[in-house]
Amino acid sequence: MKEKGKPATQDISPKNSFMSASYPAGDGFAKAIRAVLTKALDDQVFEAVMMPLKVPKTEAFAWTLLDDTKLLEHASPLPPVMTIQGGKALSELTKHGELIERTAVLLRPCETRAAVELFKLKQINLENITLISIDCPGAVPLSDYLSDPENQARKFQDLMEENGDEDALRPVCRICDKFSIPAPAEGGMEEGGHAADVHIGFLGQKGKRLLLFPLTEKGRTLVEGLGLKAESPENSWETAVQTMTDARRKNRQAFNKDFLSRISGPDPFSEMFDACINCHNCMRACPICYCQQCYYDSEAIRLPSENYLERAKKRGGLRFPLDTLLFHLGRMSHMVLSCVSCGACEDACPASIPVGQIFSLVGDQTQSSFEYVPGINRLQPLPLQAFREDEFCEVEIPCECGEGQAPSEVNKNA
Amino acid sequence: MPSVLNIKKGVEEGLRLFLESLLREKKVAGVFTLRKTNDEGAAAYTLITDPEHMQQAVPLYPLMPMNAGKALSSHTLGSASEAPLAAIVRPCEMRAFTELIKREQGHRDNLLLISVSCAGVFPLSSLSNGTLSQELPDYWESAQNAEIPAFLRPTCAACEHFLPFQADITVGVLGQKELNKECNLFLNTTKAEEMAEGAPGSITSGELETPEIQAVRKERMAERRKLFEPFTAQDYGLSGLVQTFAPCLSCHGCSTICPICYCTLCDFDSKTHEYQPTSYSIELDQKGGMRIPPGTLFFHTGRMVHMAVSCVNCGMCSDVCPVNIPVATIFSKVGDALAEEFEYVAGRDAEEELPLGTYKADEYSDIGE
Amino acid sequence: MNEKIGVYVCECGPNIPDRIDIDKVLAEVSVIDGVKTAKKFGLLCSPDGKNFLEEDIKKEELTHAVIAACSPRDHEQTFMTVAVKAGLNPYLTQLVNIREQCAWIYSDKQEATRMAIKSIRAGISRVKHHLSLTKKELEMNPDVLVIGGGVAGVEACLSLAGTGRRIYLVEKAEELGGTVSKLGALIPHQGTAVDLFGEKIDRVRAQDDIEVITGHDVTSARGFLGNFEIEIEPQGDSSEIRNLQVGAVVIATGFGLLSSEHLDTNNGEKNPNIVSALEFESMLAQNAVVGKDGKPPRSVALIHCVGRAELGYCSKVCCLYMIKYAHHLKSMDASTKVTSFYTDLCLPDKSDQAYYDEAVKQGIRFLRSDAPSIQSAEGQVTVEYSTGGGKSASEKFDLVVLAPAMVPGEDTARLADMFNLPLDDTGFFKEIHMMLDPVATPIEGVFVTGCAMGPRNIPETITQSQAAAGKILGSLIPGRKLEPEVKVSEVRADFCTGCQTCLTVCFYAAISFDESRGISVVNEAICRGCGSCVGSCPSGAIRAKHFTYPQIYREVLEILS
Repeated sequence: MKEKGKPATQDISPKNSFMSASYPAGDGFAKAIRAVLTKALDDQVFEAVMMPLKVPKTEAFAWTLLDDTKLLEHASPLPPVMTIQGGKALSELTKHGELIERTAVLLRPCETRAAVELFKLKQINLENITLISIDCPGAVPLSDYLSDPENQARKFQDLMEENGDEDALRPVCRICDKFSIPAPAEGGMEEGGHAADVHIGFLGQKGKRLLLFPLTEKGRTLVEGLGLKAESPENSWETAVQTMTDARRKNRQAFNKDFLSRISGPDPFSEMFDACINCHNCMRACPICYCQQCYYDSEAIRLPSENYLERAKKRGGLRFPLDTLLFHLGRMSHMVLSCVSCGACEDACPASIPVGQIFSLVGDQTQSSFEYVPGINRLQPLPLQAFREDEFCEVEIPCECGEGQAPSEVNKNA
Repeated sequence: MPSVLNIKKGVEEGLRLFLESLLREKKVAGVFTLRKTNDEGAAAYTLITDPEHMQQAVPLYPLMPMNAGKALSSHTLGSASEAPLAAIVRPCEMRAFTELIKREQGHRDNLLLISVSCAGVFPLSSLSNGTLSQELPDYWESAQNAEIPAFLRPTCAACEHFLPFQADITVGVLGQKELNKECNLFLNTTKAEEMAEGAPGSITSGELETPEIQAVRKERMAERRKLFEPFTAQDYGLSGLVQTFAPCLSCHGCSTICPICYCTLCDFDSKTHEYQPTSYSIELDQKGGMRIPPGTLFFHTGRMVHMAVSCVNCGMCSDVCPVNIPVATIFSKVGDALAEEFEYVAGRDAEEELPLGTYKADEYSDIGE
Repeated sequence: MNEKIGVYVCECGPNIPDRIDIDKVLAEVSVIDGVKTAKKFGLLCSPDGKNFLEEDIKKEELTHAVIAACSPRDHEQTFMTVAVKAGLNPYLTQLVNIREQCAWIYSDKQEATRMAIKSIRAGISRVKHHLSLTKKELEMNPDVLVIGGGVAGVEACLSLAGTGRRIYLVEKAEELGGTVSKLGALIPHQGTAVDLFGEKIDRVRAQDDIEVITGHDVTSARGFLGNFEIEIEPQGDSSEIRNLQVGAVVIATGFGLLSSEHLDTNNGEKNPNIVSALEFESMLAQNAVVGKDGKPPRSVALIHCVGRAELGYCSKVCCLYMIKYAHHLKSMDASTKVTSFYTDLCLPDKSDQAYYDEAVKQGIRFLRSDAPSIQSAEGQVTVEYSTGGGKSASEKFDLVVLAPAMVPGEDTARLADMFNLPLDDTGFFKEIHMMLDPVATPIEGVFVTGCAMGPRNIPETITQSQAAAGKILGSLIPGRKLEPEVKVSEVRADFCTGCQTCLTVCFYAAISFDESRGISVVNEAICRGCGSCVGSCPSGAIRAKHFTYPQIYREVLEILS
């Protein structure tokens, strides 16, 4: 059946002002978040929380579902590293049905976007879930953190206080312009479309306060339940966010150009994977990769034993494990339209392949050809599942928009 | 004393010559070995059929990008290789292949298995952090002197089964003199001797078990004890496991890369272990909080139960772990304990039956009559 | 590797041996691993040939059979039937086309032979991975629901009556007859709707096996061919839901007419001398054809094609009834000036041209003009029309009759949603194929007839209703069970994560979601085996029976090697 999807625009700066409520944060960001959550749990605004906790006696962070407020003393709302992608964690929690307890979930913006994509893929049930996203300065590379946790945590803290060095961040974080509330440019977001229910902002506030932005009905319930009123926009926050967005967009443009030249063409592209051992960590870490058994682990691509030698003879040699590049290209074709550039894949790669950057670049380019921005609008259908008649004019019989060429004409120019 | 094919070339070059001759004379249809994939030190196992490509082969390169036992298993899964092949694999990779054959996951026929008296490999991370290219000359020197260099995979430093079991040919590396001038291929089977007929070099005799080998074995065993020391049941125990596996991302890279983990869909990835909403409610009720995803440690202990008896201590799991958990250390410690318990060494003998599938009347008599 | 495959090469008369060296083929394929025997025969599809095949399969105790012959379109079924007779599961056979795809396209005998061998090798590789598939049998309900009691619905009922099934005719109005019953004389017979159709309606009411349920809406539908569960309720009263179980549904809900409010109403006041066709019909019926002054009109403008340009289609029946009105007006008073303004004249049937010519002879003016404009002017109506070359003229009329375009009926969208039926650009129901299958929909067992599908005249509607009935009579035979297609898709429960991507791509609504297990389930009765779901599943959890990866891969591998 035909459906004319609404194309999302790429420009997602918050041109429409968002109303926020203020919450004091003089004692520190984490403390303020803990206070908010404790109050909310005590007053039963919600019954449980899922968020990262620091595992005692270690430098590790673990997603935890809790209703015991005492556990919040270990809370680490925005860890310096991304461990398990939060969208994936939320999917583990709700893929078999809605949670019985009303639960608030604290996610980084890219984790929120991944969660929205998973919601569209029916791997997350958002009933009884209140999604809370937080302004995010980025995350430091997992391997850097593991070798020197104290130093890396300090560098991250500097970035939280807005006087840190972005070189400490992961490459995909440095080019991320969706670190705050995403919204389409014109007309505002339709009701029910917002990715998060509440957004917590702290940029531009010099550590004095948190700003709580209710974005949906559930969000309003939460903010009001805390006894707060979201009545005014906050200029200092809007300016800080706009400045950072502009800077990051410049980085993204430079990256797109530079990285593209490094991977353009079959040889440069495949050379990127010279050291790949086909361990599939990238696929396992990726929140969008939800298949019970990956197609590239299944019988579908298993080569019958008797054909190994035959295949080897074709080129004089056969590399093991088989079909490394096919795995990456195939995974790309399956998920890149929903890629939220979170970089979990790159953190997980034991061969230090810049797979997050590669997929982020391809994602950016393919998503724009579908006029699709993953994860920012719950109501925007997935491009491969939505039929639009006015699409890909350059390869289709002249379509309604009149800009297309007949296939015979296309071939003439080829 | 076994017969030895001696080639007056550096050990890797001599081996390459031998393999090339096998290909050119069509004694084998293909050679399975490591091959350089770029100029920055990366390498991958390759089944080479064109003798010209043997120029890029680096059979003794001290890197293990995958456990070759897994590769051999996937090649011979349905049936034995239809043509003779030669494969150069390390002792632990051979042992893994043997363990897989016992589980109907491979066939040995038609394979000429060439292994080495193994000086170990570098961890995977040494490729990206430059250690491998830096320390490569040192590696060969330590190999010759049968020493244990600091940059080896921890499991290699602690490995006592560095002489292969049941290989057709053993390439003398560890403790062998003048590796840059002499290549000694120890011919252990009649098949090996047949293959060596007419090969470049001359037949002599030699001894793998040099005094240096015996000395390094003792050192390796000491390293092993040192490696396992922190992980005692009394002092380390469950809380120790919880702490060690705290950073685990549940990526299951360890099981994906493990040669012994051959299941097409791991039980721990299947729906069997997925939680229903009510289960979360119950846990919240009982404990007030729980880790998401659940079963982080359960996966590891469960995997241990499934495969530790065949653990060959190759160390791929630690290498692939994104959060540097010493998986291999813990698993091979348990593997060792099981080996002692069942008097079984994984991959030692293809005819030896798997302990968990073998009933012995006089076993564990102290537990139940 | 315990197969015993029999390879049979059919000579197909002179067709194949002329171009292919069959003995060479037999020599090459007989040594392939798994092949027990390789034989040739003159004409395998002949009675002798089929006998030979059956006997040989039994004698050689074959586990699989590969027949190299003509196109599967010709004889795949033939040889599968032989296999069944020989005790071999018919899906453990493979027909390789070495006639159309080999002998008939290669002029060089060597090349043809080489390709034949390759194709047969591929067939053998494939068949080794075939699985025994069994036909299932489903109970089916032969009863039928007809929605809509107009001409289309009544005709469908009558065509289905007396064939051993129960027919439910559900009509939302209190009376049967639909829009046609509101019309007066019908051209060209000039009999009235009551004359022509009253008898049909009486017969419908009189039939024992037809239950007429008026004043009811259809509110929900579930199920598939042979097994539909329908809910109906009295208009606006949900307390009296009634369940109907039927095997097929005929949708005959008719059409609506484009509102002419923008032309006949000024500031909320309806202009009495600008009327639409249906209003004019009732004027005719009451013998009350008058202008604004209450007197018979001296001049009448008949405006054809109202809404045609905006909607983009011709409503087919209006020109004829406008000519009918013109005749009527002339017969009431020959001095009445009657002028027809049309954008295009539609006279498709045999007698239509003559009807038109007669009208012209009677002095009725037919003027061609794009969208004439209408303005009310003190008791009369001014019609401004184009005269060609950018010029226009205007005339005043006592009465203007509008022929509004036919539009989709008000229930069309709701029913389309309910039954998962596609609508086309115009909003009418969409048939599966406009030319080749005009009454069937992608949903098996659901048919649409009459104006619900688009502008139709009465003969077309009758024909379509009879066609829909015919299709039902041929497939839902009382006592016979439904044998759904065997080569359908199936979901492997362990690998499905319930993302429902397959549901969104299934054109036939053959996949449903099992909430309790959280997985997709294929309804084998409706699945047509198109494979869209197989392609869309990222993990490969959904598989196509008889088109599995090993089967296709092995076949292709042989061809390419």
